[in-house]
Amino acid sequence: MDEYSVVLFHSASHAIRAEKVLLQVGIPNKMIPTPRQLSSDCGMALRFDRAEKDNVARTLAEHKVPINGIHAL
Amino acid sequence: MTTTVDARGLACPQPVILTRKAMQQSNQIQTLVDSETSMTNVSRMAKKAGWQVNVVSAEDEYRIDLQKGDGAPAASPQAVGKAEAISGPLVLVVSSDVMGRGEAELGNILVRGFFHTLGEVEPLPQTIIFYNAGVKLACEDSPVLDDLHDLESQDIEMLVCGTCLGYFELTEKLAVGLVSNMYDIAETILGAGKVVNL
Repeated sequence: MDEYSVVLFHSASHAIRAEKVLLQVGIPNKMIPTPRQLSSDCGMALRFDRAEKDNVARTLAEHKVPINGIHAL
Repeated sequence: MTTTVDARGLACPQPVILTRKAMQQSNQIQTLVDSETSMTNVSRMAKKAGWQVNVVSAEDEYRIDLQKGDGAPAASPQAVGKAEAISGPLVLVVSSDVMGRGEAELGNILVRGFFHTLGEVEPLPQTIIFYNAGVKLACEDSPVLDDLHDLESQDIEMLVCGTCLGYFELTEKLAVGLVSNMYDIAETILGAGKVVNL
């Protein structure tokens, strides 16, 4: 089975920006509701291949998109 | 005696209407159609009414042999009483390509979140109906196509309004579900125990 991680955000607009940035640099991802076990808020998260974790963290930092943590699923 | 319904050249939902009329007067019918959509729609309607269906295809034409069954209709709405209808299946209606009204950008991410989550929660709808701009979600380039394929593989029926596909010029781009007509859609909604509008 595929192993995924998710990156959480403080707001939906950050999630939208992050999705665009990640797609621009060619990191496949899927926008999903923040999994229940990670947060009870109604935010959106981006799911990606776990192997891309460092890539995702670095790319979002470079593009100054604030995140609220990265978690394994 | 076999009644023949020649519905070649007729647009949806005429073949279904003509066949249904013939079914009220005859126990054995042969319907001729010249499109795959008409063939599946007529077949589905007859099966739902408990008839035996056999399709013979030749080039671009189909002959649908229909024989009235002995048993009770599979799920004929006419035969379903009010009380039974209330305990009928859960039907999800998707009439827009975004979730909720307001900001389209937000509605787009919400609808993606919804279809992703649908695979993980209970209860699952028995049927999902797409109409108006909702049909865009069932076509190529839809952001929820992968999720819909997963749901379809779990035997969730998906009916996509053919009129709507035609209106948006998306008929050739349909990527999941069955092209459907107002008969199927109306029967499915009216026969549902619960209808959820997205």
